[in-house]
Amino acid sequence: MEKIRHLYWRAGFGLNLGEWQERRHWSVKQAVEQLFKEAEKARPIALPKVESTEVVIGGNRDAKQQRQKLERQLVGQQNVQWIQRMANPMESALVERMSLFWHGHFACRTLVSKLAVNQLNTIRKHALGHFRDLLLAIAQDPSMIRYLNNQQNKKGSPNENFARELMELFTIGRGNYTEQDIKESARAFTGWSSNLQGEYVFRMRQHDYGQKTFFGKTGNFNGEDIIDMLLERKETALFITRKIYRYFVNTKVDEAIVQDLADTFYKSDYDIGKLMRTIFTSDWFYDSRNQGTKIKSPIEFMAGLMRQLNVDFEDPMSLIFVQKALGQMLFNPPNVAGWPGGKNWIDNSTLMLRLNLTAYLFNAAEVNMRTKDEFEALNRGKAQRKLKATVDLQPIVKWAGALAENEAFANLSDWLLSQPNPIQASSIKAFLKDRSKDTFVQTSVATMLSLPEYQMC
Amino acid sequence: MKRRDFLKNSGLASTALFVPSFLQAGQLGSFSRSRAGKILVVLQLSGGNDGLNTIVPYRNDIYYQNRPTLAIKKEEVLQVSDELGFNPAMASLRELYDDGLMSIVNNVGYPNPDRSHFRSMDIWHTASNSDEYLSTGWLGRYLDSNCSDCSSPHHALEVDDSLSLALKGAAHNGFAMSDPKQLKRTTDNKFLKALGQQYGHDHGDEQVAYLYKTMIDAQSSAAYLHEKAKVHRAKGEYPTTPFGKDLQQVAELITADTDTKIYYLSLTGFDTHANQQNQQERLLKQYADGMKAFVSDLKANNLMDDVLILTFSEFGRRVKQNASRGTDHGTANNLMLIGGQLKKPGFVNDGPDLTKLDQGDLIYQVDFRKVYANIIEQWLEADAAGILNGGFGGMRLV
Repeated sequence: MEKIRHLYWRAGFGLNLGEWQERRHWSVKQAVEQLFKEAEKARPIALPKVESTEVVIGGNRDAKQQRQKLERQLVGQQNVQWIQRMANPMESALVERMSLFWHGHFACRTLVSKLAVNQLNTIRKHALGHFRDLLLAIAQDPSMIRYLNNQQNKKGSPNENFARELMELFTIGRGNYTEQDIKESARAFTGWSSNLQGEYVFRMRQHDYGQKTFFGKTGNFNGEDIIDMLLERKETALFITRKIYRYFVNTKVDEAIVQDLADTFYKSDYDIGKLMRTIFTSDWFYDSRNQGTKIKSPIEFMAGLMRQLNVDFEDPMSLIFVQKALGQMLFNPPNVAGWPGGKNWIDNSTLMLRLNLTAYLFNAAEVNMRTKDEFEALNRGKAQRKLKATVDLQPIVKWAGALAENEAFANLSDWLLSQPNPIQASSIKAFLKDRSKDTFVQTSVATMLSLPEYQMC
Repeated sequence: MKRRDFLKNSGLASTALFVPSFLQAGQLGSFSRSRAGKILVVLQLSGGNDGLNTIVPYRNDIYYQNRPTLAIKKEEVLQVSDELGFNPAMASLRELYDDGLMSIVNNVGYPNPDRSHFRSMDIWHTASNSDEYLSTGWLGRYLDSNCSDCSSPHHALEVDDSLSLALKGAAHNGFAMSDPKQLKRTTDNKFLKALGQQYGHDHGDEQVAYLYKTMIDAQSSAAYLHEKAKVHRAKGEYPTTPFGKDLQQVAELITADTDTKIYYLSLTGFDTHANQQNQQERLLKQYADGMKAFVSDLKANNLMDDVLILTFSEFGRRVKQNASRGTDHGTANNLMLIGGQLKKPGFVNDGPDLTKLDQGDLIYQVDFRKVYANIIEQWLEADAAGILNGGFGGMRLV
């Protein structure tokens, strides 16, 4: 039972009550099969209905500014769509979870909604496929090309930004290449550009066809050659595997396990799906030292809460406000290195909002909080947000209400918490005036979701 | 953040009710702390303040050629040196300047400047190189290195609802508070308080222990700051804007001997791509008037020698104005220090060289980390090279 809960919190966003009732007694094998089966059916995210991107990419300044407002709203709508998918049991939890991981790995910010969605769909398509396909698709992704200035990377005046991040953050990591490797490989990516329609184009005339020396080899290398030479290095397999381990298993790395995984990953030609299947079916994944030891990211916390409480926001844009206030906004990573994660999520402001959020939702309370402003804003306004949402506790009350109080409480703890519940059923019972079972169950749920322990998965 | 009673509206009983009454009365923290030593106030002008129209090179023809409608007329500039003067909106700073309470460093920046707000602000916050990504801030790392026995996170306090990267360390964070009453409401959750007192200790899991500690610290700091905020009323004439209120709050906390060494505030709206003049001057006036009021309060309480105010912006703006009577993102900028113990009051170095530009932008001469290094070493009395990951010596401003 703990294993199923652990699996679904790491490979997905937890289980809602229906899923929990149906699956908690499944074997690990059965659950993993189901996750991968669902992943095959995942659909791409629909493109926003906008006219051509020409105006926002290449238009004059006023037209651009006009359009940017609309684009910001559209990116916001995509954001909401995506987090609602994460919370929706009808979608593939695994694909959403993997996409969120890669979204942080290939961290990128764009103001053009179409490019944002295209990139996300590229990530979704390859999220469980071969890493080479994913990497190449990202290197040719217009959003990333623009974000890392590869538009400006031309023969004779190379821009090294993409080449540097490709090595430092996307593949092999610091210490495994020289500054000269960056300079030479930047030349190999010259001419990898995008047009006003937001499509990838290779501009032959900007490409440097000269000899380059990379990792000690000399030749007329292009970008694909560089990617292949990076993937030839076992260090790349190790770098990616370690990052996956830290994200899905434990921030404290077991080097022996990671080394094993990296070897297999390398030999499998960087098959991400195989790697994930190995992780999720390994005994060590379910060790107690790996369970409940991860601080949920704001997105994981929100999507999980929405899934478990069937939360429906009246104004979906409040979802973006909460993301911003908690420090993780989709399509808006802090920089190309992505979200640092772990304890970094937590300070007094973000933690108190997390702990109070359930109460706010139950009350449709007014949240009086300013987020860091847009730079053009003249003054920090009073930001009052009504978190109007409906929470459907009926199924929970029905399920737990049929049990004796102690049993109901224990069952709820098992379902909701990945850490021991510090509170006893008797404490709740002893201090409730209203002795009805419904009140007991609802109070128990609200209490558990407000615990620091609920922040762990 | 306004907290309504937990479950009242939904017809559910309050979870607070199950807390034994003896637990509800507990005092949190001790209230007998006092200020230790020198205080640093960091003031961030967000959006990229146009430094050339802040400290104006009023005898430079290139400046006037590049800004036909945006340049500040020579006769309007508050001339404080033979070459440079203040924007007229900053008249309130004149007196501070004349009294030797202000240092101005010109051409501050860093190599390979980034013109994105987010990225450049990150670089200033983390004190990284421009091709390096750090997840801790310079003040956060100061807390990490010097705060092993600091009892409270409000040792470094940001006057806002959320915490900036500058104040995040690996082991210690600063504390965010925009309004003590509001903060208290956020933390006045009887259930969470009782939880902290009853179950706050002995967690096997390190991360869980960290969450509990952060929660308990937040509760006790909120209570402490709420008390401290009531002690003293500032008398200066602060601008009646949120920024003015923030400054007043800081003055009151400092005067109340609050146990806070670093305060962090920001004033935003400097991203003036269009119709710059009115907007920038309105902001500069707020800044200057605010500083004057703040300094008068410090002086009245004999605290001027204990406080240093650092004002910076993530970048300056392009020398040439754009077609919308505004300016676009630029690079190097000026930076201001205000305090009673400045080593070099006035202009620390020459104004910008407008004959040598890089793609229309100023070329930096002083790495901002040299300013940080000096402040860390001399003012905060900590190891600058360790905190900044390298030596940035050579500046003596304080």
